[in-house]
Amino acid sequence: MYIYNEVDQKIVDERVEQFRDQTRRFLAGELSDDEFLALRLMNGLYIQRHAPMLRVAIPYGLISSPQLRKLAHIARTYDKGYGHFTTRTNIQFNWPKLEEVPDILAELAQVQMHAIQTSGNCIRNTTTDQFAGVTPDELEDPRPWCEIIRQWSTLHPEFAYLPRKFKIAVTGSPRDRAASQVHDIGLHLVKNDAGEIGFEVLVGGGLGRTPVIGKQIRPFLEKKDLLSYLEAILRVYNLKGRRDNKYKARIKILVEAMGIDAFREEVEAEWANIRSSELELTEVEINRVKSFFQPFDYDAEAGNDTTLQQKLDSDEAFRVWYERNTHNHKVPGYTAVVVSLKPQLQPAGDITDLQLDVVADLAEQYSFGQARSTHEQNLVLADVKNADLYAVWQKLAEHNMARPNIGTLTDMIVCPGFDFCALANAKTLNIAEQINQAFDDLDYLYDLGEIRLNMSGCINACGHHHVGGIGILGVDKKGEDWYQITIGGSDREDASLGKVLGRAVAADEVADTLKKILEAYVEQRTEEERFVDTVRRVGVAPFKEKVYAAAH
Amino acid sequence: MPLLIDRKLVTDDSWQLVEEADSLPQSGDLLVPLALYLEQKEALDAHSDRLAVKVNGDDDLTPVLSDLERFPMIAIEFPIFRDGRGFSLARILRRAGYKGELRAVGQPARDQLGYMERCGINAFEFDDESYSDDFLKAFDEISVRYQGSADDPRPIYLQN
Repeated sequence: MYIYNEVDQKIVDERVEQFRDQTRRFLAGELSDDEFLALRLMNGLYIQRHAPMLRVAIPYGLISSPQLRKLAHIARTYDKGYGHFTTRTNIQFNWPKLEEVPDILAELAQVQMHAIQTSGNCIRNTTTDQFAGVTPDELEDPRPWCEIIRQWSTLHPEFAYLPRKFKIAVTGSPRDRAASQVHDIGLHLVKNDAGEIGFEVLVGGGLGRTPVIGKQIRPFLEKKDLLSYLEAILRVYNLKGRRDNKYKARIKILVEAMGIDAFREEVEAEWANIRSSELELTEVEINRVKSFFQPFDYDAEAGNDTTLQQKLDSDEAFRVWYERNTHNHKVPGYTAVVVSLKPQLQPAGDITDLQLDVVADLAEQYSFGQARSTHEQNLVLADVKNADLYAVWQKLAEHNMARPNIGTLTDMIVCPGFDFCALANAKTLNIAEQINQAFDDLDYLYDLGEIRLNMSGCINACGHHHVGGIGILGVDKKGEDWYQITIGGSDREDASLGKVLGRAVAADEVADTLKKILEAYVEQRTEEERFVDTVRRVGVAPFKEKVYAAAH
Repeated sequence: MPLLIDRKLVTDDSWQLVEEADSLPQSGDLLVPLALYLEQKEALDAHSDRLAVKVNGDDDLTPVLSDLERFPMIAIEFPIFRDGRGFSLARILRRAGYKGELRAVGQPARDQLGYMERCGINAFEFDDESYSDDFLKAFDEISVRYQGSADDPRPIYLQN
């Protein structure tokens, strides 16, 4: 992974002191609420329902064992012993004290971490595939490009007061595991007819109250032009994006209003001014950054292991976990492990200080000292030897991180909802618990196959409900929580927005409604057909009928 | 009004802002909104003393860009704290080769000064009550520049 040099370290150290002074001036009444709001947001600090919330950046989801231990320490010392992983692959703490935040940032800086641009109307953490660098289906490792974007976007003087937040995702595989099509900019590493690798560039995707799938602005961008092209898009957006209404301020609205062709023309005209400038990436720099992401020193003998098969044959629970919670590795004898943060009785994405320490230890002992966070709110140990999988599984199981539900209905993305968030209209955690209780039969879940269930507690869509195979949106109706259900969404390479099933259902009816939807799926599906494909083939009607017919 | 130019507090400011056509003075250094300049171009081009224009995010910069030598000072308006269009306006003007004074007016906030300077703004005009000498510290809070900007076009890896 990328290791800070003196300059990188200096920037986070200076940022800590800058924020310490801003906090001091705010507490002394020298800084207005409005100004401090924008400044603290750019450092990941929200004021939530009960307390401030601090969101810490995990650049493109890559994190080391010492960093995980530092997060555990922060959870223990400054919070109530836990943190929450987000769809931006960051972690947030729900109970820090405002006056202690500068100290937390100073602690983070000790392990090359920070909260820079984890919120606010600026360029946010760039995200990528959690299996980057290890998945066999990859064209090229996207992480060096994420790091190049991280450096360019960090404290960018021109783009700190954009019309609205700005999110970039990069993928290196035709299988999209980063929801790249619902980002302000999605970058796909692709090969052109000449056999060169560059980027397909999408722009104007996003969720929130107006969900939009990104549009292609450029089919192929040479690697050296990456930053000049991004800068051209950002400059056009900064100048032309709407600022009169925050709900119409994202780049997706600008692209829709101008039309992609007119938007492209503006970008290309601006790009022509800056393409051949110092923004052009040099081979030396690209190679320097790539040198931090070289393959590990893998054991050439690992592929000869026979113990894994023995364990799979002899231990049913292990076999079930292995089939569900692991991903192929491109090196023979290695496997990527998904650490499930979707246990039955805890909010999705939550992790305790002890669990953070356990993952840190496992990473150190079995996975070259690194872990990754996923946009589905799980963790990954990407480089585990097959011979070690059993030991890893046992340890994860002991600490409630081995529920074999990855990719199934209960591997839900869930925002914190009304229990924590000041924006939320409805609770989500109680509904997730209801679903967990109703769908605890693993055989049934496995029979249903791959289903992405996403839930948000308000229209801002932090839980990505529009792109869930099943999406649940909490709404407030006269002081009561109701839930609107959509079906048929996807955040993968076949990205699509879910369609509304019908009228919202009451809080205590959500799990039963899901049961009916899934009954309809089982009736309608052809062999091997995923839920989302069935919805696409037969439409919403059969599902609607199943859910609402009985009520009349 | 307190005015910083090149990080120094300046006491005498010769520029007089006039926003209405019917109150244009005959002499003295004159700052007018770009729209007024375009509307009264003939009269203002005949103005005996120096002339500057004030631009904001709604303006089309084309007439300014094609006549940069005309203006010894260009004021960029920052109407509210969150409106960041002025940062891009400054970069576009500097990129086009503008060498004169670029002045942030409206609401330049202490915590934005460093970024404004990096985008090419070298003068800052404040309300009397908002300014304090502490503002001068704002420029050096962050010394590292990952990306090129108007101050130095080189990204970090090309610096030194």
